[in-house]
Amino acid sequence: MLKQRPFLIETLTAIGLIVAPFVLPHLGFAPNTVNRILVWGLFGLGFDILFGFTGLLSFGQSAFYGTGGFVAAYLLTRAGFSNVLGALIIGMIAAAATGYLIGLIALRRTGIYFAMITVAIAEVFFFVEFNPLSDFTGGENGLPGVPTPSFNLGFTSIHFTNGWSLYQFIALCYFIGVIIALRIVRSPVGAIFSAIRDNPLRATAVGHNIHGYKLTAFVIAAAYAGFAGGLLGVLQAFMPPDAFTFDTSGQLVMQTAIGGRGTLFGPLVGATVWLFLQDFLQSALGLGAAWKLVLGVVFVLLVCFLRGGIIGGFVDLYHLVSGKRAGKAAETEETEVETPQQAPPAPLQAKEVAHPVYSGPILKATGLTKRYGGLVANSDIDFSVDQGELRGIIGPNGAGKSTFFKMLTCEVPPTSGQIMFEGRDITGLRVTDVCQLGLTKSYQVNQLFTGLTVRQNLTIAALAELRGKFRLDLFRSLSGVKGLTEQVEHTLALVNLTRRADTPVSELAYGEKRRLEIGLALATSPRLLLLDEPLAGMSPRERVETVKLLKSIARGRTMIIIDHDMDSLFELVERVTVLQEGRVLVSGTPEEIKNNAAVQEAYLGGVHGEIAA
Amino acid sequence: MISWPNLVSQLFNGLALGALLALISSGLTIIYGTLGVLNLAHGAMFMIGGYAGFVTYQYTESFILAVIAGSLFVMLLGVVMERVIIRHFYHRPHEDQLLVTFGLGICFVELVRLLFSSQSQIVPPPALFQGITNLGFMFYPTYRLAVVGIVAVALGALFIILYRTRLGMIVRAGIEDSVMVDSLGINVYRVFMVVFGIGAMAAGFAGIVNAPVVSLTPGIGDDILVQTFVVVVIGGVGSFPGAILGGLIAGEIISVTSMFNPGYAYVMLFAAMTLVLVVRPHGLLGVQGRE
Amino acid sequence: MSLIEVNGLNSYYGDSHILFDVAMHVEQHEVVALLGRNGAGKSTTLKSLMGVVTPRSGSVKFDGIDIAGRRSHKIAQAGMQLVHEERRIFGSLSVEENILLAGITAPKRWPLGRIYEMFPRLKERRNNRGTELSGGEQQMLAIARALVRDPKIVLLDEPFEGLAPVIVHDLVKACRELAAAGQTIVLVEQNLAATLALATRIYIINNGHIVHEGPAQELKAQPELLQRYLGV
Repeated sequence: MLKQRPFLIETLTAIGLIVAPFVLPHLGFAPNTVNRILVWGLFGLGFDILFGFTGLLSFGQSAFYGTGGFVAAYLLTRAGFSNVLGALIIGMIAAAATGYLIGLIALRRTGIYFAMITVAIAEVFFFVEFNPLSDFTGGENGLPGVPTPSFNLGFTSIHFTNGWSLYQFIALCYFIGVIIALRIVRSPVGAIFSAIRDNPLRATAVGHNIHGYKLTAFVIAAAYAGFAGGLLGVLQAFMPPDAFTFDTSGQLVMQTAIGGRGTLFGPLVGATVWLFLQDFLQSALGLGAAWKLVLGVVFVLLVCFLRGGIIGGFVDLYHLVSGKRAGKAAETEETEVETPQQAPPAPLQAKEVAHPVYSGPILKATGLTKRYGGLVANSDIDFSVDQGELRGIIGPNGAGKSTFFKMLTCEVPPTSGQIMFEGRDITGLRVTDVCQLGLTKSYQVNQLFTGLTVRQNLTIAALAELRGKFRLDLFRSLSGVKGLTEQVEHTLALVNLTRRADTPVSELAYGEKRRLEIGLALATSPRLLLLDEPLAGMSPRERVETVKLLKSIARGRTMIIIDHDMDSLFELVERVTVLQEGRVLVSGTPEEIKNNAAVQEAYLGGVHGEIAA
Repeated sequence: MISWPNLVSQLFNGLALGALLALISSGLTIIYGTLGVLNLAHGAMFMIGGYAGFVTYQYTESFILAVIAGSLFVMLLGVVMERVIIRHFYHRPHEDQLLVTFGLGICFVELVRLLFSSQSQIVPPPALFQGITNLGFMFYPTYRLAVVGIVAVALGALFIILYRTRLGMIVRAGIEDSVMVDSLGINVYRVFMVVFGIGAMAAGFAGIVNAPVVSLTPGIGDDILVQTFVVVVIGGVGSFPGAILGGLIAGEIISVTSMFNPGYAYVMLFAAMTLVLVVRPHGLLGVQGRE
Repeated sequence: MSLIEVNGLNSYYGDSHILFDVAMHVEQHEVVALLGRNGAGKSTTLKSLMGVVTPRSGSVKFDGIDIAGRRSHKIAQAGMQLVHEERRIFGSLSVEENILLAGITAPKRWPLGRIYEMFPRLKERRNNRGTELSGGEQQMLAIARALVRDPKIVLLDEPFEGLAPVIVHDLVKACRELAAAGQTIVLVEQNLAATLALATRIYIINNGHIVHEGPAQELKAQPELLQRYLGV
């Protein structure tokens, strides 16, 4: 994530842009080249938000670049529109709208499928532009005669012609683009973008509507592309049809990877490298047409060996030099000298319930059954947990515990039966909605946001609780979210990670990761917390500490725990439900269960009778 | 206007194109199904097959040798690519895999452009199939008819390899569960290499066989790549029968639409892909699992 | 020399420490059982032997050769086979193809006839796809696949789980015959009756630590041990 010093980046960018026309000519850059670099940079701002931040690799951005560009150019050359800035903005809106519609289709799938679909989109748009719509787009000739902007301010008028004059306009547009992009990535929405890139499963599970956010990123990228496309037409005084080609999309991807993804300025750096090398290799080294091959090889090498691109490489170098690498936690658990802090009282943000105070069981499942084809995993389970209870679920192999748990958290819909949470029917709801209602789970295998710090992880979860499933607060800063800091600090204290708050997840010890795992669930302020094998893979000492931790967070909450460590579990819970072969065998206190012959039989499989007394 | 001979002619074209797409897509889909890598350089490999065949033809004047050389060269290229680069990406995120195959594709295209310039190169069809055939109700270029046959034979060969040989058995098992194949004493990395080679060869073979129909330029792989993706999305990723079905559907859509308005061919293709995505997200014959 | 000798084995699942300094040995012609609750590390132990999970430290010697950290296919070629808990038969291949596939790289293999003699049910279903088999038939196929290679040792991960008692009975009988013929077997199971019927020696694993080792007969006389580590 980007540095947090206020306005440092904005200031540096402004300085850079102001100084450029005086410095760059001495380095061999013509004004036209600089302008083109800025246009690619602007195009890339949106793309980096989509790819670098949200993790969606699209090869189809040329569709929106061309759409915005041609709408603007058409307005200015054929429709008698004279306001250049206005045309650019209309082009941007057209591109964004197109992005929305295309996003509805493309985002139905992820990963490989998504990439393939975006490739297809690029080609479709090109062909449509080239042929059926050639009356509007000039077909293979493009649209010539795009004017440069001029502004009538009453007392004087400013004309931006070309070269360094036009640079001022384009640089201003780029600067505004940077400011907007920075605000977006620093907003709650920006944080959620990163969460989606790191672990979409968990982002959904903590209560975010990730499809909505992905669509938002897609539209943002399309908008930036559209505006940049319009600028291209202005820059060249001509809107070229090759704006729509797959090559354009490809060039954007390569430039972003070369410069450094997830940095916002990667595309600018990549464009600089690209255009500079293009000139340099062709003229100075006389390589002619081989320049693109050289760039291709450079690109492949960077993808293989320098994943963060040029900017990433510099950042790594900086860390190496400044010795920041010393922070990796020891393999053995750090000694926790202090006893776990006294758990603070119940969460500050009480979840609002739609109906008056409910005093029945917090969770009630009736007739819960799950069938997979011919296999019955769970059969007719009745299960009820009171508010504030600490319940354990155990059962021998094949008991159907994990399927049952998945039905409770609504990860898997039941074949038949009903689940009531606080008197409200949640059968068939999705994980996101159920989490928003106050029911969350922590996972057996850590599902963390691996590219973020501990604090950032908890922020993601807290944001879902405080803002709901989906909110488009693109321009709010994180500090502007009321109650966020308190919620995060509170959760850090609950799981004893305050001292490690700003450590990246990759540097945490296993026990700390486990605590963060529970912390993620806690940060959503659940009234019912389900824990899936919280003790899995722990050393004896870690087990003892985790049991203490769980006891401390149990205050003011209801918890249901599945685990195989009988000793630890029985020490922790008040009541135990035993499942066997998909059904409930018996429920009772730990003592009752230990002495129950049927339970022993279930675990020891008939041998009990064979063994001599 | 739609005339009967025109329609039949386009249907034939669609069959020829469809068979070609089916072959190329089969290659892409078995690579993805087995290795989990989407080869964005697949279109470039199609193009290289054409050029390798062209060079061979220049020296030998034999179309058959050109086809053999084209196919073998691309197979070798695929094997080298897998061993040297792709192998190191199996544990990296999907995006990185996409980027590296994309980059390699660009490098291949630019290398060919450097060696051969952007001018189109011609490979004439073999003497046996030159000219026009009288089908009774219409005339049709003989070679194009031959292409249908040749590609059908190639698809048949691929089918036999996949379903009637031990290697094919291993590949099909590997598509389903490569870890288990390794557990049974078969070096699964070697399987990956062979599969990549076969998949690449399918593209290369298609490239040289198709060369007499269109003229060779460094960029012909781009369109093919896009069409291949659409075929794979329609047919279902990782499914050989899906690639064939998808290929035929795509081929006919492109051909028939071109009859009315060539520009809309891609739109119709995209519309078909969208329809499949909405109605059957895993493709017509796809299997859930790989994503 | 023991057929298998394990010392100081530590295996992880990602970051999660599952096996803590596990030590065990298996002699030729033995049937050794590994008992323990879910999550104790039984499966991980077998997977560590077979190379499906790479141990982080420790040594595994198979017939005197160090195999810890080698790839599964090499270990299979050395003569070890694992029947996975999830069976993992190839659903898109037929029964016969599954069996043939397993034998491709085996220097010495069981002829089909011998396999079918042991599992007549499989012969009836030889041309059916894997997906068309019942649970019991899939288990038989998984075991048959392991045996085709005439392995020096077979690791069975919960082979009787989720099967009807009649099928379990048949499978136990088949395993008894195998053991009687001298096949070395390591068995991981929760079905105690089946285990005690087959095993000569037993290890108990709890929370990733080996907590007991001894002859199967002795265990029958120590119900409190069973209750402590397997019961509730």
